Amino acid sequence: MVKFLIFMTLVSLLPLLSSCFSSENPTDRRILVLLDDFAIKSSHSIFFKTLQTRGFELDFKLADDPKLTLQRYGNYLYDGLILFSPMIERFGGSLDLAAVLDFVDAGHDLIVAADASASDLIRDVATECGVEFDEDPAAVVIDHTSYAISETEGDHTLIASDNLIQSDVILGSKTVEAPVLFQGVGHTLNPANSLVLKVLSASPSAYSANPKSKLSAPPSLTGSAISLVSVVQARNNARILISGSLAFFSNRLFRSGVQKSGSSVKFEKSGNEQFVTEISKWVFHERGHLKAVNVRHHKVGETDEPAIYRINDDLEYSVEIYEWSGTSWEPYTADDVQVQFYMMSPYVLKNLSTDLKGRYFTSFKVPDVYGVFQFKVEYQRLGYTSLSLSKQIPVRPFRHDEYERFITTAFPYYGASFSTMAGFFIFTIVYLYNK
Amino acid sequence: MARTTTKDAQALIQSFRSAYAATPTNLKIIDIYVIFAISTALIQVVYMAIVGSFPFNSFLSGVLSCVGTAVLAVCLRIQVNKENKEFKDLPPERAFADFVLSNLVLHLVIMNFLG
Repeated sequence: MVKFLIFMTLVSLLPLLSSCFSSENPTDRRILVLLDDFAIKSSHSIFFKTLQTRGFELDFKLADDPKLTLQRYGNYLYDGLILFSPMIERFGGSLDLAAVLDFVDAGHDLIVAADASASDLIRDVATECGVEFDEDPAAVVIDHTSYAISETEGDHTLIASDNLIQSDVILGSKTVEAPVLFQGVGHTLNPANSLVLKVLSASPSAYSANPKSKLSAPPSLTGSAISLVSVVQARNNARILISGSLAFFSNRLFRSGVQKSGSSVKFEKSGNEQFVTEISKWVFHERGHLKAVNVRHHKVGETDEPAIYRINDDLEYSVEIYEWSGTSWEPYTADDVQVQFYMMSPYVLKNLSTDLKGRYFTSFKVPDVYGVFQFKVEYQRLGYTSLSLSKQIPVRPFRHDEYERFITTAFPYYGASFSTMAGFFIFTIVYLYNK
Repeated sequence: MARTTTKDAQALIQSFRSAYAATPTNLKIIDIYVIFAISTALIQVVYMAIVGSFPFNSFLSGVLSCVGTAVLAVCLRIQVNKENKEFKDLPPERAFADFVLSNLVLHLVIMNFLG
């Protein structure tokens, strides 16, 4: 009896064991970090420590570890993947390019760091994510006007950049004061791709070339088209960070002071640590993750949802949108959420007003057209997950007894019919009694 | 050329007037009734052209009542006209009774379709 009670208590506690990534708790928990060698673990220890203090479980493995696997029996073992292995030619275990892409397609997040002479595998991962590295494997980004001043006369490959994307969601509300140090390869984005964003771009005087050899032809990547760090938000809301430099995350660049060439201001600490901390919060869904719940619509004055509306009805629509703050769902406030009443094209397009507690509502009149409509909310903003809600509702025309009893525009016809009848009556009298 | 055309038109109208004066009175009464019905129908069509055909059933019933009763009156005139050889044996009372009953049915239908 006692054994049975103990067993039942333990079984009822089982659900608490699964405190992993779920739609109720979008922040990733378990992250697999793949390294070329364990020296990276110590040379990038500040970055890993900030992740661990935020509650992530990091699992460090060598990239060619033969026991590497992302999933077992169809379940993914990790919620996020960090590839700090720019030299790896082939992943170990059951991991390969297709497995990494499937991992992202399943909605999980990825950080990829390439470096000078990155391997083809890492370049392919980046290409599949929408970003093209320079084809020349020996090329790095060089900038002769925007480099970081150091004691030795370097080859200007360590650049100080402050061309950051303007987005509070991605980079946090506090601006990054100091320039950010970068040393590595550059990449370009396809301008037709609407899902990929340049977070850190190079200045207009940068170019991508081999610093040790003389240039024989103009470089193919130049100027602000070069992106140093990009992010991709996929349509399934998986987030990918692609950086052309592994040193970008290293302790050395976190701690070093920076003075941009041409400017006399010297900063004690580069902006790298703040930049990397804030952007990792975005990539791992601690910020900018929205959910929309509780879509309701009803006729003005009623509370339950009808199955069909009639033309020229007045109706109210409401939806609740929350933003994940890292620990809990907070109400999301914006003034540009719109609802469409859509049938092949939006007949009604209205901004939703908010009560600042997450509830968005509006009311409008059903248009004078009948058919099958949808309530559509399509919300895509830079850095936020995209919301795409749609609820179908039919709209019927008037029933024959819903018109007014006597239609004003038809009065001449009523009058004509009755006058004809009167005329007929008078005619019969006159005709019969005419001598 | 124009002078002769106007002169021809005037001569035509004159001959029509003199011939029409000879028709019997009861036929003239029927003619007045037909003109009244057709003009009411025309007024309704012009109104619909201005305002649009929103309660189309009302428009149809209004126009049809006028046109239908005009048609029935024309039939009555044909049957009652003594110069018509075809209807020589038809008593005019029978023709009038047909006219009245048909008009009753017509106006019953109109009242239902008027909306």
